[in-house]
Amino acid sequence: MNTTISLKASNIDKYFYQPEPFQVLKDVSFEVKKGEFLTLIGKSGSGKSTLLYVLSTMDTDYKGSLEINGARLTGKSQNELAAFRNEHIGFVFQFHYLLVEFTALENVMLPALKLGKKSREEIEANAYESLKMLDLKEQALKQANKLSGGQQQRVAIARALINNPSVIMGDEPTGNLDSKNTKVVFDIFKQLSRERGQTIIAVTHDDDFARNSDRVIELSDGNLLKTSTIGR
Amino acid sequence: MFSSVNNKISGVHLTSNAKQTVVAVLSVTFGISMYVFMNSFMSGVNDAQTKLAFTALAHVRVYNDGPADNTNLLKRVLPYGKLINLRNAKVIQYTKGIKNSTQIVSLLQHQPEATGVTSQVNINVSYHNGAIKINGQLSGVDVENENRLFGISNYMLQGQWQELKSRSDGVIIGSGLAKNMSLKINDNLNLLTDDGVAKNYKVIGIFETTIANTDKSKAYINIGAARQLLSKNADYVTDIQLNVKDYSKARQTAGKVAPVIPYKVEAWQVANGQLEAGSDLRDIIAKAVSLTILLVAGFGIYNIMNMTVNQKIREVAILKAMGFSGGDITTIFLTEALIIGIVGGIVGMLFGYVVALAVNHIPFAIGGLTTLPMTYKPSDYLLAFVFGLLTTFVAGYLPARHASKIDPVTIIRG
Ligand SMILES: Nc1ncnc2c1ncn2[C@@H]1O[C@H](COP(=O)(O)OP(=O)(O)O)[C@@H](O)[C@H]1O
Ligand SMILES: [Mg+2]
Repeated sequence: MNTTISLKASNIDKYFYQPEPFQVLKDVSFEVKKGEFLTLIGKSGSGKSTLLYVLSTMDTDYKGSLEINGARLTGKSQNELAAFRNEHIGFVFQFHYLLVEFTALENVMLPALKLGKKSREEIEANAYESLKMLDLKEQALKQANKLSGGQQQRVAIARALINNPSVIMGDEPTGNLDSKNTKVVFDIFKQLSRERGQTIIAVTHDDDFARNSDRVIELSDGNLLKTSTIGR
Repeated sequence: MFSSVNNKISGVHLTSNAKQTVVAVLSVTFGISMYVFMNSFMSGVNDAQTKLAFTALAHVRVYNDGPADNTNLLKRVLPYGKLINLRNAKVIQYTKGIKNSTQIVSLLQHQPEATGVTSQVNINVSYHNGAIKINGQLSGVDVENENRLFGISNYMLQGQWQELKSRSDGVIIGSGLAKNMSLKINDNLNLLTDDGVAKNYKVIGIFETTIANTDKSKAYINIGAARQLLSKNADYVTDIQLNVKDYSKARQTAGKVAPVIPYKVEAWQVANGQLEAGSDLRDIIAKAVSLTILLVAGFGIYNIMNMTVNQKIREVAILKAMGFSGGDITTIFLTEALIIGIVGGIVGMLFGYVVALAVNHIPFAIGGLTTLPMTYKPSDYLLAFVFGLLTTFVAGYLPARHASKIDPVTIIRG
C-alpha cells in the first residue's frame, strides 16, 4: 500500500430538515489511502449510508469538502459529478438497485458502455469475466428481476467493478449473502485493493468482514468515533 | 449524448412495455390519419366545387368595361383656371366589344402559364317559341377552344358539341331552357337581340351543367354566326377567356398582362369572391379540426410518456448514479417519444390514405358528383407527418426534461 491519498473528507456536516431539522453528520473528517480496504461500522441510524452518499458524490447537499484522487468535488455540477462517478467510482447500493428490464449481463455492461472507452466485445468479455468470478455465469442472460436477492447483489457488485474505478464503495454489499459468497466478495475486494491499488470503502455489520479489512472506522450518532487498524 | 447506449435503453423501454408503446403509437396514428383524411376531404370538396364553377367560368377574362369616365372632357384641352359650364354631357358614340382581338389572343397564348384561350361573342337575347319568351344569354363560341377551357362536351345530354363547328344555323341549348320552352332536337328556336335583330336557329344539342342558372338561360352558337347576327367583322369579340395552369395564381397572370391590354383584365377571384372565400373557409375548418385532433393525440402521448417516466423514476436514479447525465436521460425518453411519433406517423399516413379511399367510394350523387370527393395531395401527408412529429416532440420533451431533473439520491435513499 502506498501513501497517496485516494479520498479526503473534511468537516462534513449534513442536515435533514424533514420531518424536523436534524444533524445527521457532525464534522466528519478522514482520509483514505490509495489501495486501502476500509470498513465503516456503526449502529443502525448512525449515518453510515448518508455518509456514503456524500462520499459517492451523489449527495451534494452538505457542508465541508470532498476530494477524490486530488480533485476537489465539492461544488461541481451534477453532470460533471455524473461523469466523474462513471469513470472513478463504483457503487454497490444497500438494496441492489438493478435495472429490472435488462439482463444481468446488460446491467453489468451499462456503466462501461456509457464510459465508451472500450469496444462492445471487450466490455462484454469483461462483464462475463466478473460474473463468472461471482459465480453468476449461468444467470448472465436472465432478466434482473428473475434473480434472487443474493444473486442481484452480486450482479450489482460486478457492475461496480466493470470500469476499474479507483474507489469502490459498498453499502452493506454482503448484507444478503451467505457466508460462502461473503467470503468470495471479501476476497475480490482484498485482491482489487492489493493487486490493482483500488480503494475500497464498505459499510458492514459483519464483524469478521470488518476485522479482516485494513482499517475500521465507526460512526455514532453522526460522529466519527475512532480509527483502528485490525487484521493487518 | 446520442450514444448507442442511450438508444439501447430507449429500445428496451419500448419493447419491454409493448402494450403502452402500442397505445401511444395508436394515438399518434389516429391523429395523423384524421389530419390526412380531413384535409384530403376538404381539398376534394374544394376541387369539386372549383371544377363545377369553372365549367362556366374562365380563370381570366378580358372584356370591354364600357366607356371611360367622361364627365369632364374639356379638362384635357383647356388650360387650368378657365371656368367652364358643361351640362348634360352625353356619350354619343363608343365602341362595344374588343376590336384587335387576334393580337390579344396571341399575346395571351404566349404566356408560359396559359393552358387555353378562347374568344366569345356574348349577346343578350330573348328566346321565343310561340307565346313563350325567356331572356337569356347567347354565346358565340370558338367550338374547339371553348371545349378545351370548359369541357362543355362532357355535359351534352343530346347531340354532339363538335357539330356546332359546321352548322352556322345550329344552336345548343341548356336543359332547363329546353324544358321551359318545350324544345327538342331539330326544333326551331327563334331569338331576338336587344338591337332588334331576329333570327331562327335549329336545336342541334342539349347540355346540362347542373348549374341551374346556366342551364335555364344559356345557348351556344358558332362564333361566326354570332358575328353575322350582329353584323360585325371577323375580328370582333366581346370576351376573351384565358385558363392558366394554376387557377389560384390567376391574379398574378391578370396583373402581368393588364398593362399591355387596353381592356378590362379580370381574374376569376375578383368577380367571384364568394367562391374563394368558401374554399378558404373550408380550408381553415379542415386545418382547425385536424390540428385539434393532433393536439388531443399529443395529450395522449404526453400522458403515456409521463406515466412511463414516473414508473421508471428508480431506474433513472440508478442510471444517474452510474454516471448518466441529465442530457442522456432527456435523450433516452425523447428518443422513445420520437420513435413512437415516427412509427405512428407512417402508420397514420397509410391509415389516413385507406380511410380517404374508403370515403371516396361512398356514393354521393348531387351536383355532378357520383361519390364523395377526395383529393390526394402529397403535401397533406407531409404536413401531417411534420405536425405529428412536432406534437410528439413537445409531448415527449416535457416528461423527458422532468426525468432529467430527477435527483438520484432522494430516490435511492427511499
Ligand atoms: N431522507 C431522509 N430524511 C430525513 N431523515 C433521514 C433520511 N434518510 C435518513 N434519515 C435519518 O438519518 C439518520 C441516518 O440514516 P442512515 O444514514 O440511513 O443510517 P445508517 O445507514 O447508518 O443506518 C437516521 O436517523 C435516519 O432516520
Ligand atoms: Mg444504511
